[in-house]
Amino acid sequence: MPISTKTKDNAVNEFNQYVKPVSLWADAWKRLRRNKMALMGMWIVGIYIFITFFAGLLPFFSYTDQELMHANLPPSFKPAGIVTLERLEMRKLELESAIAQTNREDLKTDLTRILLEAEQLKTEIDSNPVHKRVYILGTDSLGRDMLARTIYGGQISILIGLIGTLTAGLIGIVLGAMGGYFGGWFDNLLGRFVDIMYSLPYMLIVIIIMAMIETTNPTTKVFVLFIAIAMISWLTISRVVRGQVISIKNSEFVEAARSMGASSPRIIFRHLLPNTLTIIIVYSTLSFPSFIMNESFLSFLGLGVSAPMASWGTLVSDGVQSMQLYPWRLLVPGAAMTIFLFAMNFMGDGLRDALDPQSKNRT
Amino acid sequence: MTRFIVRRLLSTIPTLFVIITLSFFLIRMAPGGPFAREKKVPPEILQNLLKKYHMDEPLPQQYFRYLGDVLRFDLGPSFKYKDQTVNDLLGTTFPVSLTLGVMALAVATFLGVLVGIISALKQNKWQDYAAMSVAVLGISIPLFVVGPVLMLVFALILDWLPTSGWIGSRAGWATVVMPVMTLMLPPFAYIARMSRGSIIEVIRSDYVRTARAKGLKENVVITKHVLKGALLPVVTYLGPAFAGIVTGSVVVERIFDIPGIGKIFVQSAFNRDYTVIMGDVIVYSLILISANFIVDVLYGILDPRITYK
Repeated sequence: MPISTKTKDNAVNEFNQYVKPVSLWADAWKRLRRNKMALMGMWIVGIYIFITFFAGLLPFFSYTDQELMHANLPPSFKPAGIVTLERLEMRKLELESAIAQTNREDLKTDLTRILLEAEQLKTEIDSNPVHKRVYILGTDSLGRDMLARTIYGGQISILIGLIGTLTAGLIGIVLGAMGGYFGGWFDNLLGRFVDIMYSLPYMLIVIIIMAMIETTNPTTKVFVLFIAIAMISWLTISRVVRGQVISIKNSEFVEAARSMGASSPRIIFRHLLPNTLTIIIVYSTLSFPSFIMNESFLSFLGLGVSAPMASWGTLVSDGVQSMQLYPWRLLVPGAAMTIFLFAMNFMGDGLRDALDPQSKNRT
Repeated sequence: MTRFIVRRLLSTIPTLFVIITLSFFLIRMAPGGPFAREKKVPPEILQNLLKKYHMDEPLPQQYFRYLGDVLRFDLGPSFKYKDQTVNDLLGTTFPVSLTLGVMALAVATFLGVLVGIISALKQNKWQDYAAMSVAVLGISIPLFVVGPVLMLVFALILDWLPTSGWIGSRAGWATVVMPVMTLMLPPFAYIARMSRGSIIEVIRSDYVRTARAKGLKENVVITKHVLKGALLPVVTYLGPAFAGIVTGSVVVERIFDIPGIGKIFVQSAFNRDYTVIMGDVIVYSLILISANFIVDVLYGILDPRITYK
């Protein structure tokens, strides 16, 4: 077929066959769809985000509802009243055998108290709707539903990760693009600064900052936490964007834009940055989990989110205190967090392979 | 080479200076102080205390005094640990943290490279998928979840290992197992992923094909030719890996109650024990700086293509 007859819209490959043009995104989507693990990651992340943002509309218990009678109940599909009663019966048997052996007075008073409690519970078990609740993941030391607590902790953790990634991304993209585009002293200064920040034991400095701020307002504390973590998270992304911008800033299309009188901001934002978008997406997805990790790391040390707020880190930290007796209080938030980060990392890896095929098999 | 090493060593001085200055003023800016307690100290005693620790001087003077002391390797007295200088304190705690960190990094490197090799040789087979899932899990699971879960399973339920303590205690070397397993997990996962990636790249290169064409045995090709080229990126990662281990040790030492610098670090930050925090930060920074330095030099020795100007 002579080349002159081909129509404008159809691309031709080196063997002169018609090929359907495919956009970058469609191509990436095709690659992503073949990656089973990444797809699974995407689904899990989607479900988490859906539950987190619509928790108020879904039939969960409130995360603040305390029912001291239901403290430290194990995970069960049975109504709380029955689980509590079973626990009291167990305790009764234990005490009775202990009394038979030692005949201690204090155990006897314990026993009468438990018998009374059981009696009272039996009378109200059908009338009081509280005892109809089902705690599928157990309760904490104040009788709050672990599932609701974990979802609430996830709200805070995911929100911190999301806002943090956006802030860090914005700072990193703008500074990196400017450094790469303008070069010169600005780029040098930026490079020096990034080098020094990298060689700082930064998390230790964040620990100092968080331990030293004296505020009783938990919102202020979370705000400081944000700033402290965002201060370092933009470094990597700024380096990556800078490198990309340098590699394309002398290409013909940029020159064309400049010759038509486009201003520097217009060239950066309309021509250069869209070409670095794939890399920005990939790095943002991968920095999201590390943000959550850093936040909960600090919260675990008692330096991050403080009560009455809770994040996954504080929930795990609470759970560790009593893990021998009530292991679900550690395992539930720990597992919820690990599954989310696992899915997030698989999704990030998959996106990188899909959007940036050359980087495949690296790291 | 010598010139490079000297220049590289000199370039660490400004970094250290920035770190000391930044943390010094950051710590002093915070409200409260080492002598602020629930019970008010009488003003005369407070005055004497401040005078003893030179804290009645203006801040810049204190700063320069501190810099001078640091140059003479004197990190000053501790405010809270009575009768102990920071040098004493770090002298007893630092070896503990160093042992923990070096062991964790050694185990992580060995296992990571091993898993990376297996994964790369069995690319896209079940071994590869299993190993890489474990690696992603290692990156995803926070240290403060792994530590307590290990403790719950192996110490509290199975009763195989002691819950806490260190080598000097009655349980001896058994105390090391869980902290090292916990701390090594993230660097292990990264090293496994990196070595897999670079081995896969190198294995397709021309010089490996040549080696095979010469009729060398497969294990000779792997150990002598592939690994030499493939492990360079892993060496560069060891610097950042050490940084991760330093941060991680703060949590791990707390979970397993290990008497290292990480444990006293958080405590001193809460206590406003100025000199101990500063000493801790300096030691941590020195570890990081020397780790990066060693990695840079090692890289030059391992890769003859790199020339130092």
